[in-house]
Amino acid sequence: MIRPRFWIAALLAGCLAAPVWADAAPTDAAQRSREDARALAAKIDRFIAARLAAEKVTPAPVADDGAYLRRLSLDVIGRIPSVSETRRFLRDPGSIKREQSIERLLDSPGYVTNFSNIWRDLLLPEANADFQQRFLSANIERWLRKEFADNVPYDRMVRELITLPMQSNRQNMFYNLRTGAPSPLAFYMSKQGKPENLAATTSRLFLGVRLECAQCHNHPFGRWTREQFWGQAAFFGGIRSQGNNNNPFAPLSEVANRRELAIPGTERVVQARFLDGKEPVWRYKADTRNTLADWMTAADNPFFAKAAVNRLWAHFFGVGIVEPVDDFSDKNQPSHPELLDELARQFASHGFDYRFLIRAITLSKTYQLSSVHPESTPPDVQLFARMPVKGLSQDQLYESLIVATGTPNPNANQRRFAFNSPQNIFQAKFTNQEKRTEYQTSIPQALALMNSKMIADATHPQRSEFLAAVTNAPFLDTAGRIETLYLATLSRKPRAEELEHFRRYIEKGGAAKDPKTALADVFWALLNSTEFFLNH
Amino acid sequence: MSRSALQLSRREWLRLSAAGVLGGSMSGWLERFASAAADNPQRKRACILLWMNGGPSQMDTFDLKPGHKNGGPYKEIATSVPGMKFSEHLPRLAKHAKHLALVRSMSTKEGDHSRATYYLRTGYLPQGPVQYPPIGSTLSKELGSPSAALPSFVSIAPVPFLSPAAYTPGFLGPEYAPLIVGNQGYNFGQPQPDYEKTLKVEDLQPPGEIKQPQEDARLELLQGLQRDFVAKHPGAPALSHQSAYERAVRLMRTAASKAFDLKDEPPKLRDRYGRNVFGQGCLLARRLVERGVPFIEVTLSSVPGNNGIAWDTHGQNFELVKKLSEVLDPAWATLLEDLDQRGLLDTTLVVWMGEFGRTPQINPQQGRDHFANAWSTVLCGGGIKGGSIYGKTSPDGMTVKDNPVSVPNFLATVAQAVGVDPTKQNMSNVGRPIRIADAGSKPIKEVLS
Repeated sequence: MIRPRFWIAALLAGCLAAPVWADAAPTDAAQRSREDARALAAKIDRFIAARLAAEKVTPAPVADDGAYLRRLSLDVIGRIPSVSETRRFLRDPGSIKREQSIERLLDSPGYVTNFSNIWRDLLLPEANADFQQRFLSANIERWLRKEFADNVPYDRMVRELITLPMQSNRQNMFYNLRTGAPSPLAFYMSKQGKPENLAATTSRLFLGVRLECAQCHNHPFGRWTREQFWGQAAFFGGIRSQGNNNNPFAPLSEVANRRELAIPGTERVVQARFLDGKEPVWRYKADTRNTLADWMTAADNPFFAKAAVNRLWAHFFGVGIVEPVDDFSDKNQPSHPELLDELARQFASHGFDYRFLIRAITLSKTYQLSSVHPESTPPDVQLFARMPVKGLSQDQLYESLIVATGTPNPNANQRRFAFNSPQNIFQAKFTNQEKRTEYQTSIPQALALMNSKMIADATHPQRSEFLAAVTNAPFLDTAGRIETLYLATLSRKPRAEELEHFRRYIEKGGAAKDPKTALADVFWALLNSTEFFLNH
Repeated sequence: MSRSALQLSRREWLRLSAAGVLGGSMSGWLERFASAAADNPQRKRACILLWMNGGPSQMDTFDLKPGHKNGGPYKEIATSVPGMKFSEHLPRLAKHAKHLALVRSMSTKEGDHSRATYYLRTGYLPQGPVQYPPIGSTLSKELGSPSAALPSFVSIAPVPFLSPAAYTPGFLGPEYAPLIVGNQGYNFGQPQPDYEKTLKVEDLQPPGEIKQPQEDARLELLQGLQRDFVAKHPGAPALSHQSAYERAVRLMRTAASKAFDLKDEPPKLRDRYGRNVFGQGCLLARRLVERGVPFIEVTLSSVPGNNGIAWDTHGQNFELVKKLSEVLDPAWATLLEDLDQRGLLDTTLVVWMGEFGRTPQINPQQGRDHFANAWSTVLCGGGIKGGSIYGKTSPDGMTVKDNPVSVPNFLATVAQAVGVDPTKQNMSNVGRPIRIADAGSKPIKEVLS
């Protein structure tokens, strides 16, 4: 056993050799990966441009700096940029500042939180609707954070999920759920270990295939038969819930190497079979689900990489190349089939590196297009001639309000469990909607944004620390105060006519004949504006 | 996305704000929106759902078994309908028996609060990715008008804690979420405080320190900001945002908001409903029906001295159900009287139900536990053959002997009674169309008029 002193010395030497506060120089592999991302971004633009030319559609111009930074922050770290982040970005004269901001955001903890939240909602949608199930989500969140923080390759993440061993010991299970190693066991538990639920969900999330209809009958429009559904479900056929019916807290066990399943309600027994018809090659002692994971994540699997790439594309562009993103079928042809193939190919050949793919997308000119199209009727959204307007998710809206108003933010995790907190009640009004490009606002949402205590406190000239600071800052004049509020909420500077309009309003003092109250009115209006509420 | 005829144009919006800023009261043209719905002679039917949180005991309300060892201490009383008897603690309701159709043969397999609540409210079991909407959303979508000043679905004092998914609008989207009066978040088990304070529409008015002129000024500033952005970003999200705000302001400003003000009502009437959240909630429901709201639910989830989930009487069942009945009876009876006197009962369906019933056997804590095998619901009012009993349970209450009723059949009956086709489909979030009541369900002809 080497002495501790040796390790300390080695550590110190290591620390002195490369100052930890300097940006780590990218390794050769990282350099190549970034160059490849740039090249792929250029390819994306060529494919998009080719179709636009064929359809004789002009693309929108590139978005200005403020719009770009706001959109990038919302998409990558799940919130709008702060005033200082925006000021710094707008002031930076450098020509590669957009690329640098991508790197900065990918390296920030916000990226990990954002994508963990997104995947938690995908893996465990039950937890948003059922508070009993929310207790299951803590451990899976920890697992997701670790995966994203370590930049675990996507195929390995899926494999870990698919091949997770079941825990049949009830004591152990609850202990582990609360305090133990991060694990996605909750995924299996929330589906009650039912093979049909697991097959349907994994196919939808990782293969882009909606199998649900085929559970009971041959799909009326698509290609999936009942036989195929249960063949897929048979891979999970050994999993058993140890509780009585439908209990998401019951421990799960597994009968090892079970490869067949009886279709419930019938005498029919189906063998485990891949969706593309390939026969599984059962290796000696190979676990059933391992065999499924091998097939799913194989480089030549026709669904896996394309589904992953399509889903990530839809995250950034509001709609996928195939839309809906979990429904690859004859009815939903890809808008740009060669682009989809190329993205899938490169995702796989770069080791399913999520960040590589995010770089390629966000570096493209297509991603940077403005959401304002020159023509009065914008072209079809899947031509990607402009960035469509997207609704915010529940988490994005809340986090953005926190940043814009400087509201103290209790630990986000605690918020999820404090069911009765004003924050949770507010947030519960803004449930996620699948079609973000057709986002609907409701009356209770509008009332909450206009009149709720949370907004009232945030826009009060004294009670809001942020607003009080802006109001009383001696180094700001009225124009400067207005500009700060615009940067905080809309991540841009006011246009000349906007500035003039608000300056005059404030100097007149508004309804209360008091400039401080009038400034609060301006802040309220900005927070309630459509421009704040949407991702554009 | 089309703009409805009554949607405010930008010029009208500015005029509204200008009228306010200059110190005038609400401009007259807004009030015509509010009255349009109420006076419409072709007004559609309405539904009031009385939701009994926790699973009310059928053995101690509508399907007593006096004389049997499972029966408990309550006596049966005769009602105004020969042959129909129910709990002695619902005496005022007994006088309205001719309006009631008792369904004594509800039967499901769901004994868990969360699943059963979801099942009864949506008609579907929670499974997979489909987010089923509750019948409040599906029926109000068919019966309501998007341009009405009042929202089509109002929920009074709901307690969503145990089954939050059943209280969201599901795949229909936030436009079909209810407006909540008396939002207590996810509290349960706490006796509701002062009903005047509780029965408020959340966020309907800005905080007290913001007076009308300032509110007007803010709205005008907001309108200035919207103009440019919405013009440059045509499409559903921006338009929907703007439209929601217009409707919200209309709700805040017009006569519509007076609908929620119970101080207009005669004190004697308020006494007859009962001076508690549920009683006053039923009164509010009547007011909303008068003003054209097609679906209102009122939840009875607590009475003073009960620190659990209302009807979930695992212990002290008989004391608690008596207390609950003493709140339920005057409220429900007065609601029927009130609707009848105003000529609204023929077009208003009132549904009484919980998520399951309770065990015929009495447990050692003098309570009854969850029991989904054989339990009761009640339908009354418009579209219903009153004074009838459908279905029968065994003498010990353990099983259904005649005419078991499934949840889909029950909800199909509810839909039919308000004139909505239960087979109508809505597109779900997984691309599969979903009927209002599950495929294969059939309304119960015998209880429909």
